[in-house]
Amino acid sequence: MSIFRLLQATCSKPPSRLYSSSNFVPSCGLSCGRFYHSYEHDRPPPFSPTEDRILSAALSHVPTHGFTTTALTQGARAAGYLDISTNLFPAGPFSIVNYHLVTQRLALAKDVTPARHDPIKIPTNINKLILRRLHANKAIIHRWQEALALLATPTRLPTSLRELALLSDEILFLAGSTDVTSVWYTNRAGLAVIYASAELFMTTDTSENFVETEEFLARRLEEGEKIKSFVGGVGTWAGIQAGGFVDGMRSKGVRI
Amino acid sequence: MSFPTPWRTSARLTRRLLAIKQPYRCLSCSLRLAREEARQDAKTTHFGFESVPAAEKQSRVGAVFSSVASSYDTMNDLMSLYTHRLWKDHFVRSLNPGIHTSLFPSPNQPTSQTILDIAGGTGDIAFRLLSHATTVNNDHSSRVIVSDINPAMLAEGKKRSLQTEWASSERLSWVEANAEDLHMIDSNSIDLYTVAFGIRNFTDKMAALREAYRVLKPGGVFACLEFSKVHNPILNGAYKRWSFGAIPLIGQLVAGDRESYQYLVESIERFPSQREFAGMVEEAGFLLPGGMEEEGGWEDLMGGIAAVHRGIKPTEG
Repeated sequence: MSIFRLLQATCSKPPSRLYSSSNFVPSCGLSCGRFYHSYEHDRPPPFSPTEDRILSAALSHVPTHGFTTTALTQGARAAGYLDISTNLFPAGPFSIVNYHLVTQRLALAKDVTPARHDPIKIPTNINKLILRRLHANKAIIHRWQEALALLATPTRLPTSLRELALLSDEILFLAGSTDVTSVWYTNRAGLAVIYASAELFMTTDTSENFVETEEFLARRLEEGEKIKSFVGGVGTWAGIQAGGFVDGMRSKGVRI
Repeated sequence: MSFPTPWRTSARLTRRLLAIKQPYRCLSCSLRLAREEARQDAKTTHFGFESVPAAEKQSRVGAVFSSVASSYDTMNDLMSLYTHRLWKDHFVRSLNPGIHTSLFPSPNQPTSQTILDIAGGTGDIAFRLLSHATTVNNDHSSRVIVSDINPAMLAEGKKRSLQTEWASSERLSWVEANAEDLHMIDSNSIDLYTVAFGIRNFTDKMAALREAYRVLKPGGVFACLEFSKVHNPILNGAYKRWSFGAIPLIGQLVAGDRESYQYLVESIERFPSQREFAGMVEEAGFLLPGGMEEEGGWEDLMGGIAAVHRGIKPTEG
């Protein structure tokens, strides 16, 4: 995995002390975050077992109660906790949204084997991966607009954007992209925009098995490719012109 | 082979003599000092910036609060520029006490909560807890037990409760108790344990935390609102100026008691930082809220002047 992923991990929030007792990570305060990706060792789980139990139970109540405190309280009750125990989640209903995003991203990483680098196949792989991730929203899609509202709340926005960035990074990694030039950034930003718009489109999609979302996604990806090749073309052209200019000036005796 | 030459013998003798003259080498100084300090700590605790015998702290804190009880509210308003009311409101609202029975009644669920408000003599938090449970969650049965070590503060609270709707209600009761020894409260009987601006004055904070863990039901919540450390250096400078310059002066002018308020600001200064205190809460066995946007385990109010710490007693283990 590319070095930028590592940097991103570095910039993100250090793991909570909750996990410092896990076998993998020695308790070392702030410096506990792992700054690299290991194929041999799993990352420590992002949620403690208690959080995991309450939030997964809460998520199962989302189709009926939506992303609300009610769902969270029901989750706590189902996990054998008290109503007041929802104080474990100061972010309230947003915790359920975040839980869904994180667990689904990790599930994607766990279930899909990273593709080998093959530039021809990358667009198809990306398409498949985005669809796979979108289909994970199926069960709660009728409530997803509530989640989007919570995600767009100004105080939650940094968390939401980071999660989106992590997801697009995950998708590109799994699709076999190994670019490390400035394309790394544009790829991820572009993919994040496409994913977010497809997700929004899906909330109003009533077609059978979300066919319209699939078509929408295919169109956006195609446009993305076009923009990419256009920008790439302009870049190449500008490079050649600049080279020519330098050569021309040198032939006139300018010391460049 | 070495022979005991006069030179060697004398060298050995000198070394021995020197060893007797110097009972320890300089290298071990720090170790010795550390030991002495530890021995001292066992007997004394801090009272503001002073070190006092642990047995004495309780009575001295008692004296402070007996003397400030009557002017407690006015002083709080003046010292915190009325913000303590905002903090307390936020504290109670974020805890969301009470059970919202009307929304989803289910047969096996308890319909009321028992809340223990420690060091809540004047009832500040207790009245807020009750009114939140009643008006927000439509819960008319949850009870609050107010506990304070100081009878003067409790008397002040009882007096103030006469002006509220809870005056003769069964939902409010008063207990005079030391938070380090709550033998009159059953184990696993409390849903929510709150302590606002109190834990700083406890002689043994760890003992109080362990006692909190004992009385709480599994899944119960420990919540603490306390002055803490300000992170922003500029704000910190202004805050320290205010607390060490203005607060004892206000105390002298309004309450006629400078020493008590000097103790107050010193005890704030001596209270552990957010991180340390969160560590103590965790050590007592509580689960800390992971918090995605917070620093995990606590919430800073106004840049860290005050902080809310929360811990949940796990159901297993």
